[in-house]
Amino acid sequence: MAGDPYAALGLTKAASDAEIKKAYRRIAKSDHPDLNPDPAATARFKAASAAYDLLKDPEQRRRFDAGEIDDQGQERPQRRAWRDHAEAAGNPYARSYGFDGDPDLSDVFSDLFGRRGGFGGGFGRGGHEDPRDFHARGQDYRFSLQVDFLTAARGGKTRITLPEGGDLEVTIPKGVRDGQTIRLKGKGGRGLGQGGAGDAYLTVSIAPHPDFRREGDDILLTLPISLDEAVLGGKVAAPTIDGPVNLTIPKGATTGTRLRLRGRGINGGDQQVELKIVMPPRVDDRLVRFFEEWRKDHAYDPRAGMKTGE
Amino acid sequence: MARHYSETEVVAILDDLDRARLQSFVSAQVVTPVVTPQGPAFTEADVARLQLLCDLSEFYDLRPDSLGMVMSLIDQLNTARGDMRALIQAVASEPDEVRGRIMTYVRRVRVTGQG
Repeated sequence: MAGDPYAALGLTKAASDAEIKKAYRRIAKSDHPDLNPDPAATARFKAASAAYDLLKDPEQRRRFDAGEIDDQGQERPQRRAWRDHAEAAGNPYARSYGFDGDPDLSDVFSDLFGRRGGFGGGFGRGGHEDPRDFHARGQDYRFSLQVDFLTAARGGKTRITLPEGGDLEVTIPKGVRDGQTIRLKGKGGRGLGQGGAGDAYLTVSIAPHPDFRREGDDILLTLPISLDEAVLGGKVAAPTIDGPVNLTIPKGATTGTRLRLRGRGINGGDQQVELKIVMPPRVDDRLVRFFEEWRKDHAYDPRAGMKTGE
Repeated sequence: MARHYSETEVVAILDDLDRARLQSFVSAQVVTPVVTPQGPAFTEADVARLQLLCDLSEFYDLRPDSLGMVMSLIDQLNTARGDMRALIQAVASEPDEVRGRIMTYVRRVRVTGQG
């Protein structure tokens, strides 16, 4: 906010608290960026809401009037604008706006923009908008469902509470992918007249796992191994989505070595293990002495093959 | 993956939002929380939408059912605007000759009204 917050509200310093609120509401009504696309309106609204944030609290206003704080002198919460999100592709609140029922244009329209979920992709928004829909099946419900990584990988059941009340047991198919839609037949809105119930569509989003990652049906894991395991090789327990299995570390393994646990991924996929050598928490005297000796006649340059960029 | 906010978090973020108002928005279906095993959650976009819902409730004293109507219109407009933007961008990248034909047609139907 540049300059005088009273001016931003079209007021003077003499204004009462009630006048300040009234002025802000008046500007917000005409210039709110979600209601008025004019950039000048947005600028007026920003200035007015910054001014109002400063002046709405009587104590803060007193301190500003007394010169104790300036018009920038406070931390303001960042204002969020719905419009920044509203045009985005995949916005779940997207609504069809009149071409779906047009006999001449609906095909062209759906070729271009696809079929948008139900009437707007939410829960029972506003009933039936198409008057021809009165005899039809119930509304389709769409919403997003967050599933944890292991449930998505192994499959399972989860119970969800519907926003409009009631709950539903959902079977998560094994290996469901991020963004995939689960259809629950007949779990949508009730039909009208002869129409059957609509369906519920759950769009799955998969929460990340701290250790496992996924690439199609393969599971990727970075497995830390100790210095001695790297040198001597041996069997270590490697976590998989179905519990730990023994993995043979080859002698002389190094960071970046990739091993494959066949069939330990999802639906016949593999688990790919990338090894990472981890130093002991403390390098003790014995280790230092050993390496001082060892280096004398075994020194090697792991950077020998690097391009130096000269 | 997009960050999610719990009910408690959104109420803390938005000055004008309390739990009762949030509940009324959810039951009026003007905002739809993501369903997670930990309970309802809101995306960054939902928080922005809730800000607008608070603004509309405050400035116009809208009741939840009127809010549903207003949001339906705003959503239709924003969807149309997003589609229109995509179409205009597609038209803009076509050769002059195609753009000319489209321009002539649109002017005839929408501007001069001789369609």
